Amino acid sequence: MTGERLNDVSGDVSGDVSSDVSDVSGEVSTAGATVAGDRVEPEAPVGAAVPRDEPGGQVDTKPRNNRAWFLVLPVVVSVAFTAVIPLMTVVNFSVQDIFSPTDRIFVGLDWFRAVTRDPEVHAAFVRTLLFSAQVLLLEIPLGVAIAVAMPRRGLGVPVALVLVALPLLIPWNVVGTIWQIFARGDIGLGGWTVNNVLGVNFNYTLDSTDAWITVLIMDVWHWTPLVALLAYAGLRSIPEPYFQAAQIDAASGWATFRHIQLPRLRGVLTIAILLRFMDSFMIYTEPFVVTGGGPGNATSFLSILLSKIAVGQFDLGPAGAFSLLYFLTVQIVSYVFFTVLTRTGR
Amino acid sequence: MLEWMVWTPPTALVFIGLGLLLAGMAVWAKISPPVARRGFLRIETDRGDRLYIGLISAAVVLTVWIAVTDLSMWLALGCALLVALVIGIWG
Repeated sequence: MTGERLNDVSGDVSGDVSSDVSDVSGEVSTAGATVAGDRVEPEAPVGAAVPRDEPGGQVDTKPRNNRAWFLVLPVVVSVAFTAVIPLMTVVNFSVQDIFSPTDRIFVGLDWFRAVTRDPEVHAAFVRTLLFSAQVLLLEIPLGVAIAVAMPRRGLGVPVALVLVALPLLIPWNVVGTIWQIFARGDIGLGGWTVNNVLGVNFNYTLDSTDAWITVLIMDVWHWTPLVALLAYAGLRSIPEPYFQAAQIDAASGWATFRHIQLPRLRGVLTIAILLRFMDSFMIYTEPFVVTGGGPGNATSFLSILLSKIAVGQFDLGPAGAFSLLYFLTVQIVSYVFFTVLTRTGR
Repeated sequence: MLEWMVWTPPTALVFIGLGLLLAGMAVWAKISPPVARRGFLRIETDRGDRLYIGLISAAVVLTVWIAVTDLSMWLALGCALLVALVIGIWG
């Protein structure tokens, strides 16, 4: 009897749904709503609609052809060669003291012990987390604001797109070089303006706060466009009737943004946050070019410290252990972000 | 190849174990497809998700252990496996 009623709901969505749903008991009416919402299956036999959406999960016994998965094989092979095998090699490095390929000593977990207790590593870790947090706090709202402000039609669209996308086209080390000169107090336009027009003493080669601000603004300049473009794509995919409905309800601009645009941006913002977190947490080239990690240790992020150990000192063991812990951190934070943003409300 | 990747017996065993674990999970999924449910982690997970979360949590336990104490790492491994098991069963 319940099955019949649910089938009714899925078949006749526009008609007397409300009366039908309100008839049945509370628990079933939620299931009915799901059926009426996005899992309408007109060919399902009467009575089959109920077990599909049991809270315990769905048991789907329909036979499926999974051969399309073989198309993923090239990716699997290339990832194996570019990521898995190198990662395994790094794991092997991390438990040995290596002098040459034939002359190496197994040291167990000593490198991990050394790296996890190194104050320099702790400081770089905190610094990098702080940098990533600031990057996200600045770039995500700013990117969304730019996307909302960008024109939706007309000649303005291509012009705005090209202007916004310009910083993304510049290679990392060139961005570093541009900012290294731009922020200089003597010949750089930005640095000179801050020093002589605003009257603030600004010198990123001597002052650690100035160096931090320079790197941060450089990252915002370079990567906010990515957030803006993603958010713009997300905004463009919202159907026009939503805005018309908002207009009919006389919703304010803020209300439209808060209740229509922002919820619809969830997917693209998930990707934007993940990309920006991972990229900023692994930032290397720009601070390397602009400050070289200095002054002192002020901008020596994890990757800069790591490359100093791995390439500068050629300590493969500690560098391997460091890399694995670095990788673990990125994994955890990305997974938590992804889970929170995609699984809440399910 | 083996010289280039500078293998050691312990790391080889770990990776063989991981490979067998993944293969075993694939076979298990073929025999009885995983069912998503909600445990004390408060998110919907199937057993593959819980395996991943469990392994990552085990790695965190090992890392924190080695960072703060000089007690035996075998004890740490025991704790890590226990955490992974708890997440796998009730997570």
